[in-house]
Amino acid sequence: MGGEMMEEEKEPEKEVNGSEIFKEFKEYSVVEFFKKNRQMLGFAGKVRSLTTIIHEYCTNALDATEEAHILPEIMVKVEELPDEHVKVTIQDNGPGIPPSHLGKAMGMMLAGTKFHRYMQQRGQQGIGGAGCTLFSQITTGKPTRMRSGLGDGKVYECDMKIDVKNNQPVITNQVEFMGNFRGLRVEAEFAEVKYDKSEHGVYEYLKRTAMANPHAQITLIEPTGEKHVFQRASEKIPEKPAEIQPHPLGITTGDLVDMAHRTDSRKLSSFLTNTFSRMSSAKVEELAKLVPTVNFEKHPRDLKWPEAEAVVNSVKTLKWIAPPTDALRPIGPDQIDKALKNILAPEFVSVSERRPKVFRGGIPFMVEAAIAYGGNSGRARSDEGRGGDIIRYANRVPLMFDGGSCAITEAVKNIDWKRYDIRDFDKEPVTVFANFVSVHVPYTGTGKQAITMEEEIVGEIRYAIMEVARDMQVYLRGKVREMDKETKKKIIMRYVKELSADLADLAGTGAPADIEKKLVDMIETKYEKIEGEAEEAVDEVKEVEENEKEE
Amino acid sequence: MKKKSEKESSSEVLGKLEGLGRDMLKEIDVGEAPTFECLLRSRGNILFDESLGYIKLGEKRETRTFLNVGQAKKFMQTVAVASKCKKFLKEDSHTSIRGLFYQLKFTLGDSVDEDLFSEQSESNPLVEDLEVALDVKREDLNLNTDRKGVVAGNLVLKDKFGGATDEIDCSKQGRSGWMIPSDVDNGMDFVSVDADYVLVVEKDALWQRLNEDKFWKKENCVLITPKGQSSRGCRRLIRRLADKKLPVYCFTDCDAWGWYIYWAIKTGSMNLAYLGSDIATPEARFIGVTMRDIVDYDFLGKLTIKTKDVDLKRAEEMLTYPWITAHKEWVEELKTVLATKKKIEQDALQGPRLSFVGEYVREKLEKKNFLP
Repeated sequence: MGGEMMEEEKEPEKEVNGSEIFKEFKEYSVVEFFKKNRQMLGFAGKVRSLTTIIHEYCTNALDATEEAHILPEIMVKVEELPDEHVKVTIQDNGPGIPPSHLGKAMGMMLAGTKFHRYMQQRGQQGIGGAGCTLFSQITTGKPTRMRSGLGDGKVYECDMKIDVKNNQPVITNQVEFMGNFRGLRVEAEFAEVKYDKSEHGVYEYLKRTAMANPHAQITLIEPTGEKHVFQRASEKIPEKPAEIQPHPLGITTGDLVDMAHRTDSRKLSSFLTNTFSRMSSAKVEELAKLVPTVNFEKHPRDLKWPEAEAVVNSVKTLKWIAPPTDALRPIGPDQIDKALKNILAPEFVSVSERRPKVFRGGIPFMVEAAIAYGGNSGRARSDEGRGGDIIRYANRVPLMFDGGSCAITEAVKNIDWKRYDIRDFDKEPVTVFANFVSVHVPYTGTGKQAITMEEEIVGEIRYAIMEVARDMQVYLRGKVREMDKETKKKIIMRYVKELSADLADLAGTGAPADIEKKLVDMIETKYEKIEGEAEEAVDEVKEVEENEKEE
Repeated sequence: MKKKSEKESSSEVLGKLEGLGRDMLKEIDVGEAPTFECLLRSRGNILFDESLGYIKLGEKRETRTFLNVGQAKKFMQTVAVASKCKKFLKEDSHTSIRGLFYQLKFTLGDSVDEDLFSEQSESNPLVEDLEVALDVKREDLNLNTDRKGVVAGNLVLKDKFGGATDEIDCSKQGRSGWMIPSDVDNGMDFVSVDADYVLVVEKDALWQRLNEDKFWKKENCVLITPKGQSSRGCRRLIRRLADKKLPVYCFTDCDAWGWYIYWAIKTGSMNLAYLGSDIATPEARFIGVTMRDIVDYDFLGKLTIKTKDVDLKRAEEMLTYPWITAHKEWVEELKTVLATKKKIEQDALQGPRLSFVGEYVREKLEKKNFLP
């Protein structure tokens, strides 16, 4: 910011003193900061911006219904208005937001309920709903219309804007009337967004959300008026995620300073034992020995950045008991199976069942992988066939962007698909589904669209996918086995001509036509004998895999 | 695998290829499905032969038949590769395995919407299958691999290639040395080897150092650098020099990677297990750098560097190989690395003075201070 101010100086030769330069220096509010850096909120690119908007509203709806133990019904409507404006309407059947809290939830940045909690939830930035309100405001100048009902016979409606200087909600046109509506309905208008049906678009986002949330019923009305309903596949509402204490190994310097400044504890030592899992007073003593420069008796509020950094670095050198794994909330194999069958109508589905693992020496995580073959699996290709598709999730939230730098993509690439009878991954109707479950998801950037490629993580994802790929292969081999004899014969016949020519060349004797005739006769009379080789081939693959594990 | 003669003449290899084809024709003539048989190359069939001292393939075999719907294509492809190699031999021309792939990447015909080969990963393993089935090396099939490694010393070779014959004197190659070709067997003959031993130096920089000192002339040795992990040609040359009864000494960095380079030269490696005795030199000895040197040479203590995770991983892995753990000296070295998390580069021996490298090697040889 100082640099910008300097440019305004018209006479470069004259020396300027500091107070003059900083005369115009002003503090930017959080809102202004985000206004200038909106890509941090995921508002970069027209298609991506619209997906981000739907994502923010949708995760709010799913988290709210889950917490209230309600089977979610979400309706999303996208309309195209003149001047390339787009209107988004989204309505859920959740618990609603009391009018007194609506301003904080949707009209104030960084004021959500999730920001300071440490649990496995879908949204974690705490900028969601309000971020959309702000985006609508800065692209169209219009307020966002809210309707909220708690199911108590009263319905509340208002227009919402944000006072960008002070990060405060500005509420107008409030009405309250009698009605049976329960849930939240938001209507907002945006510019600089675009609806399309690409793999990064809203349709794909909602489809993937439905696949990871089979208990939700999601309806999309496209700008063309076309209506898609992703039907509920299961009546089972996911368990509420448990709030747990953060594990010392997952903590960053910034987090530590932040938490230290908000704690009720009066000493640094008691703050540490009260805040973190597995942090005993004995451990604090060990830490104190490693960082003698830090006074552990002082008030946590006085913890300076360099001191926090020293503590975090020392934490990594100590041995810790792994955190409890029961805070992990996977979707569950049955639920994934139901969801994939529901959405993709595939010929075949297999879902992995794996135990939690840890990364970075102590952070628990779990990988849920599934594979679907045939039906609507895979992605539509330009030449009308279907090609392999990778759908990535972190805590059931679809990751739509930055696929190239994601551990899940890397794991899929590292698999030798031929081994599983997928000759060319990009040309087969396969969907690979992978959900990374953890309280602490190591995203690659602020966009939170890719998981970092750490060896332990890529390895575990790869094994999970290989587990289901093996099942798929058994299925595919079964298909080959069941091929009628006519088909088998045809396959072998394809190769007779080339083989006959090469064999005559190799042996240096015999006429290709002669060899060809003998082979064809042999196939005609003998093809009925070919049976049972499919199982052998599967055993072969297992052996190769086992050898690889020994490596 | 049986011990091979020093080189296969191309007519012998041609005979083997034709024999393979004729056997298949015979099967067809008596109304049987043509088959192709070779040793399995998977991990389950790789073993270390303690008495011979190298890694080789076991006895498990696989048979491919054309009438099996799951194997028909692979069978046809195997024959196509063999037939193409025969053509290279007849024409006396060489190519790489990538060149071979491009020669075989064509469609099977108008009525069949399928390529003979669509990816090189399909043809590469078939080349290895042929090597195993015919008991030849890919160089014998006129398939080249990348060249890597350099040699200098009193070694004279005759190189018949591209219709000409050249005599190569490895003592007259100046600062750059003679680059070891991928094939040191076919069309390559030793004219004279006038040296007392072979010194293999991991790093090119150290090789250049010793070459500038004319170390090989003063010491009367053959000086080789594989430039890191050794290529097939380089390992084969070392094996051939060992066959001339020259002792082989290896000199690498003091870290798991350097030691692994030594062990690949000595026992062969799992990837090339099917070449077994052709590329392994069990007689090789290790002169350094060792962890013990840190104690014996004071100045090295200050020149150690911290190990990286890959070093430690590789060290742990090596501790699982029975052929390494059979030597308690090596177990001790590896355990010291894991405990101290330190390593030393060969280059550190230039610490006191540049020529110290040569003095170090000389001293080690005089005192017979080797590791097995």
